[in-house]
Amino acid sequence: MFKLKAQVEDLAAAIRRRWNERPLAGIILGTGLGTLTDGVDVEVTIDYEDLPHIPSSTALSHKGRLVCGRLGTVPVLVMEGRFHVYEGYSLETITLPVRVMKALGASILVVSNASGGMNPFYQSGDIMLMEDHINFMWRNPLTGHSDPNLGQRFTDMSSPYDTQLLDTAARIARREGIQHHRGVYAAMTGPNYETRSEYRFLKKIGADVVGMSTVPEAIVAAQVGLRVLALSTVTNICLPDNLGSVGKYDVIRAAQAAEPRLRYIVKEVLLEEQSQLATV
Amino acid sequence: MLDLYDKIQDALKVIQAKWDKTPKAGIILGTGLGGLVEEIEEEASFEYTDIPHFAASTATSHRGRLVCGTLCGVPVVAMEGRFHMYEGYSLKQITLPVRVMKALGAELLLCSNAAGGMNPFYSCGDIVLIDDHINLMGDNPLIGINDDRLGPRFPDMCAPYDHDLIDKALGIARQEDIVAHRGVFVAVAGPNLETRAEYRFLRAIGADLVGMSTVPEVIVAVHCGLKTVGFSIVTDLCLPDALKPADVAEIIAIANAAEPKLRTLVKGVLTEYAGK
Repeated sequence: MFKLKAQVEDLAAAIRRRWNERPLAGIILGTGLGTLTDGVDVEVTIDYEDLPHIPSSTALSHKGRLVCGRLGTVPVLVMEGRFHVYEGYSLETITLPVRVMKALGASILVVSNASGGMNPFYQSGDIMLMEDHINFMWRNPLTGHSDPNLGQRFTDMSSPYDTQLLDTAARIARREGIQHHRGVYAAMTGPNYETRSEYRFLKKIGADVVGMSTVPEAIVAAQVGLRVLALSTVTNICLPDNLGSVGKYDVIRAAQAAEPRLRYIVKEVLLEEQSQLATV
Repeated sequence: MLDLYDKIQDALKVIQAKWDKTPKAGIILGTGLGGLVEEIEEEASFEYTDIPHFAASTATSHRGRLVCGTLCGVPVVAMEGRFHMYEGYSLKQITLPVRVMKALGAELLLCSNAAGGMNPFYSCGDIVLIDDHINLMGDNPLIGINDDRLGPRFPDMCAPYDHDLIDKALGIARQEDIVAHRGVFVAVAGPNLETRAEYRFLRAIGADLVGMSTVPEVIVAVHCGLKTVGFSIVTDLCLPDALKPADVAEIIAIANAAEPKLRTLVKGVLTEYAGK
């Protein structure tokens, strides 16, 4: 019944055979943000197809490999290419890597994504630090028989995104003059973009941006006790009264343009975390 | 894994073996609205069970027949009765006929449904041209690996319903003295009707009408590049502060009574579109 625990252990063992380090952070890279690994001193890369229980990634601009190495001096495990509900995967599969990161000893999860900005103060290319989310995927990765070895049955969601990491990221962004916001992310299944009426609805219920990922991973991270830093790049503006159509490559282009800023914030936050750990 | 394309081809073969015309439009007729097929000069027809991979129509007053022929001189293919999520079908099954219509060569999808009116300006029997929708079905027909032969991975939804044709339909309604509105349709899974609190919620998020269909078909129509016009008939009023128990027989009776108005608009839009 509890096969998930065994899958996590299989996967952790398969990674440890190739890279026997304890990552400080696991990083999941979203649409157009895959080049973050250019800044990583790569020690080992593992294609998803060489790992058990992990499907191959199919989304546009997602590569599908695990990169193990160092970002500056920080040991990190990077997922290049993530899995989405719209690809037809179960949330259990989608969030499996988060459990593996925890099993390998990570204490922080960094997640990035591309999103549509509904808050009229946001512009394309801005970075939004996720401060909270609304799960509108109609699914939950914790549904099913609960294995007490994996975490609690009723996971608390009072603060799924780590306030300290959020403050550090915001301080770094301010220091560097990087346009950023704090906001609420609504997760939909996709794959179609939203209608005008859906944007109005999501805005009304308190969301600033909308996307098709991250929330499942953040829910599992909360269950297993990883501190989460989630960064969303606003790649298109979704103002229902002035809505243009979204081209397939517009989103990727906007995400790539914002990528150096995102990379800088992630690296600096992790370096600060590492130095704090060293002084404790 | 990409078996949808082959399923479409299988259905296409069976239909084209009996009917070799290219339809201009596909028509989906909802609850109580099947009467329009009487006006189609029928050239071929198929029980859904005779078309490969088509589900069986089980819902009340949904006949379960695909009719091919001409309406006002325009070649059309019409579904007399549709499939619903509440019947237990997957959204991929429900929307297969739309893909088959596209594969037959249709450019336009005209779909109708019976819906609950939440906008207090609506009356029973009114027609609403669907201007936009909210998908609250909890599912999406495009989930799964995308087959690029059928459409893009991330279809845009900034205008799923054709504005020019909506304007034309409203113009015809004015000429014919038919009460018609423009509204936002929210789709829910059903099959139970909504509670008062749910109606308040759906109204608060911006919906004028609520129903259990149409949105999956329209999402797929956008994915495969069909122009769409959606017609709702308001068959019951869902005013949370004066809510009466819904009576399905009454809903169907109201749909049947309003059906001639729908007929006029569907025929008008079709002839305008075909330039006849």
